[in-house]
Amino acid sequence: MKSICRIAGAVVFLSAILAPDAEALRGRGAAFAVGAAAGSSKASAAEAEAAAAQQQAATANQQAAAAQQQAAAAEKELAAEKQKNAAAAQQPGSPMPPAAAPGQPLPLGTVVPAIPAGCVSTPVNNVNYYYCGGNFYKAAYQGSTLVYVTTEAK
Amino acid sequence: MTAWKRWTAAALCALGVLTLLVTVSTGARAQAPAVDPEAVRILKRMTDHLAGVQQFSVRSQNIIEDLYASRHRVDYDISGAVTVKRPNKMRFSRAGDWNQRFFYDGKTMALYNPNEKVYATKPAPDTLEKMIELARENVGIVLPAADLVYRNAFSLLMQDVTLAAVVGKAVINGVKCDHLLFSRPGVDFQVWVAEGEQPWPVKYVVTETGTPARLSITTFLSDWKTAIDVDDAQFVFVPPKGTQAISFIPISEANVPGR
Repeated sequence: MKSICRIAGAVVFLSAILAPDAEALRGRGAAFAVGAAAGSSKASAAEAEAAAAQQQAATANQQAAAAQQQAAAAEKELAAEKQKNAAAAQQPGSPMPPAAAPGQPLPLGTVVPAIPAGCVSTPVNNVNYYYCGGNFYKAAYQGSTLVYVTTEAK
Repeated sequence: MTAWKRWTAAALCALGVLTLLVTVSTGARAQAPAVDPEAVRILKRMTDHLAGVQQFSVRSQNIIEDLYASRHRVDYDISGAVTVKRPNKMRFSRAGDWNQRFFYDGKTMALYNPNEKVYATKPAPDTLEKMIELARENVGIVLPAADLVYRNAFSLLMQDVTLAAVVGKAVINGVKCDHLLFSRPGVDFQVWVAEGEQPWPVKYVVTETGTPARLSITTFLSDWKTAIDVDDAQFVFVPPKGTQAISFIPISEANVPGR
């Protein structure tokens, strides 16, 4: 489904008022791309959130791993201390301050289905740019789907 | 013991013959002529009717099936309205998961999202058919009602068809219809065509058969009208105050990581 989506440019107009247009039926799968694209933009938003959550989890894991390393270093000097630290690191609910995730600049031209939360709108020459996480975004149509594309700062 | 062996051999032999018979009969059925001329006739009647209409408007309701990555099935609904005036005017509006309007006045195509107050325009060819082609190939916009607009819709629909059948009669939103089924590699489509003097398409279902999910797009078409007010001005897009021009991403430049 995803590849079909891509073939059609992951877009759609009216997701098809008339889905089975003749072109779609010519075997290009356009009608399905339509449906897929329409659905996937929403799905992507949900999936993006899930991915973000996973990233946070991964970050937390890394922190836990770092803590474990520290604990291992301490082990050489203080066996008792080591045990304590290791136990703390392994506890899933251990009070680990969440890292303020610094923005990861995306490659220019990256398309996202929605502006990330917390972006700041800055109009330049009657064009709205949105800035957050180290990226500038501007709106564009990918087919008939409104998307946001990373762009250079103006 | 010998008798038992003989019986076993006979049983196995019978089983083999039976299997062979079943295989042969199944194969014969699969190879039977599958294109029913009556189904083709009704389809042609519908497409001829559409091709002969100079202008029309129609309401549509789409149900688009999708699968989450989790494999849960979700359906999206889209309501829309299309107006076409041959040879080179079209507009539609859609409401549903997002609001959008499309305009084509014979020179320019425009897409407009009133809620987000953004629009994009692009110079367009001077016929509906060429405009639809450009929109699909260069911009990635799949226009609605394309099969209604194409003059040669019948041959496009029938291309590579391996099965055509009249499923039976049905009533859709109070309209008595012939229910047709067609199949071509990768796609099955069903069409419900109104009986009587005005053989409009009333319902379409297109099913993707190339993947296990077999997702469909269902379209209900209603409120067909040909005697409509089609002032040419309504096909011209004039950007409302406070809206912002954005651009179309050409298909070749689409860069969608992970999709």
